[in-house]
Amino acid sequence: MIFVAVVRVAVGLLLAVTLPVSVLAADMAAGMQKAQTCVACHGPEGNSASPAIPSLAGQPAQFIATQLVMFREGRRKDAQMSPFATGLANADLNNLAAYFAAQKLVLPTREAPSATAEVGARLAQQFNCTQCHGPALMGQQHIPRLAGQQMDYLKTQLLGFKASTRFDMDGQMTSAVQALSEADIATLADYLSALK
Amino acid sequence: MRISTRLHRSIYRWVGIMSAGAAALLVANSAWAQAPAAPAAAPAAPPSWQQGRSADQAKSPLHPFAPHFTGRTSADLPLDKLKVPPGFKVEVWVEGVPEARSLALGDKGTVFVSNRNLTEVYAIVDRGDKREIKKLFTGMKVPNGVAFSKGTLYVAERHRITRYDGIEDALDNPPAAKVVIDNLDPSAQAGHFWKYLAMGPDGKLYFNVGAPGNIVLPNYNQATMQRVDPNTGVLETVAQGVRNSVGMDWHPRTKELWFTNHARDWISDDLPNDTLHRVSRKNMNFGYPFCHQGDLLDPEFGKGRSCKEFDAPAAKLGPHIAPLGMRFYTGKMFPAEYQNNMFVAMHGSWNRNTKHGYNVMRVTTDAAGKVTGMKPFLEGFLTDDKGDPPMWGRPVDVLQLRDGSMLVSDDFNGIIYRISYKK
Repeated sequence: MIFVAVVRVAVGLLLAVTLPVSVLAADMAAGMQKAQTCVACHGPEGNSASPAIPSLAGQPAQFIATQLVMFREGRRKDAQMSPFATGLANADLNNLAAYFAAQKLVLPTREAPSATAEVGARLAQQFNCTQCHGPALMGQQHIPRLAGQQMDYLKTQLLGFKASTRFDMDGQMTSAVQALSEADIATLADYLSALK
Repeated sequence: MRISTRLHRSIYRWVGIMSAGAAALLVANSAWAQAPAAPAAAPAAPPSWQQGRSADQAKSPLHPFAPHFTGRTSADLPLDKLKVPPGFKVEVWVEGVPEARSLALGDKGTVFVSNRNLTEVYAIVDRGDKREIKKLFTGMKVPNGVAFSKGTLYVAERHRITRYDGIEDALDNPPAAKVVIDNLDPSAQAGHFWKYLAMGPDGKLYFNVGAPGNIVLPNYNQATMQRVDPNTGVLETVAQGVRNSVGMDWHPRTKELWFTNHARDWISDDLPNDTLHRVSRKNMNFGYPFCHQGDLLDPEFGKGRSCKEFDAPAAKLGPHIAPLGMRFYTGKMFPAEYQNNMFVAMHGSWNRNTKHGYNVMRVTTDAAGKVTGMKPFLEGFLTDDKGDPPMWGRPVDVLQLRDGSMLVSDDFNGIIYRISYKK
């Protein structure tokens, strides 16, 4: 009974709401089409080949959508990225997020130097990375996957958090990185980017 | 005040210098001792929601949930799981209102909807058979509180309260903000500083100023309920010892203020309870950070204190259940026994291994105003009490419409539901 009523209202809304509000489910095909602009920098299926540009493949959908909203609203800023988020509707963002989340991340072939890997793994525990990003640093919900992400990108974000210049929804990352030295940040980025 | 603030700042600076010095000393020591490669670094301060965790909770997987800021469409959601009592019906009233938080109803039927992490206030209007979503304001600073009275919309941002007179005649071209009170957020630090806003029967605007952390000693104006006279700007404290209230209303008969309150995290899965409060006199103090739920001394701040020093809550609502919006029902649509009952939106527990809440509860009282019962009214958002996330939607506020039906906002999906009743 309830379900029937709800569906009828939802169909009614499609006609009634004047803002561009879609009531269709997240649309992977539409996401793939929109993603053709993104892959010019983020790489095929969102697998970046550039150390400074993040891979999007296999990131949690909620993380991708959240960051796109923040770029669009000007709360996270990047000279290259910001213009692309301007003017995208929420439905576009959901479709892009669904598409990139469903792509397979090409795993790094590089191995981190063994000393780096050991210290990096310890830092990730000590500085609480695994608390939110998950025990294998694969990300969850609105929190990004760090394992296998591009090294320079990770370094730039961590330095940005440390300088309080990187967008941070609730201040968690800004506070979490304050005690990291620049050397720690370099070690973590090296370790994480080689992590499978 | 100014002197003590400066003193505080200098103490903080001192602590900063001391720890920097200690760290330098450690590094220097390890260099002298030819210590192995691993440098001795002090552990980073944990995120603020982890503040107050005990050592044995250090590896806890529990974490707060963030909303879908793009909103999710009803087509993507298991709406068939929603359940209301026999005779009631729940339906999607509007979707596409990202992070829909607090609700307020205009004289002409406009529904105003706020944001907490996003920066918008929306107006939702029915034009003929069309329901329109209008982005009324954008770029606001944590505009969680909205209240409407006598043609005027009031918005509580983190740092100030503003008014917009004659708003319902100017939805396409809203007037500039007029400040009711400013500088409510002098510290700009992390903490429970988003505000719920409600217009009292005395013509004053009531709101919360929460605690600056999970379990910390608040300063003189934090962890309070306050009110401001919109005509004079005079500010008064209504109640103290309130960790964070994000929902309030006045009893239709007694005109007493009732409000919901979130208790601290990280004591245990089952303690302390979040609470419902009744303000029956001036200068009540409900205990935070010393005593929780009226009868539980805080393990740290409760030392040398007694719960007898403080006022007890009207009801315990459940541990970590996160009660938000709360309103008394005075409409004609629901059955007579619902008159003056409270509806409380439970945003749902995150700080608990087995999740509960994520529903709207109906709370009943007797003629003397004593709480007599509590049962679920709208449920079905919680689908896996051990899941991460355990739910697909989260109720935030409830609002009675003119016809006696009830709206429920869901910030996780950016959807507002309507509950109606037919014999």
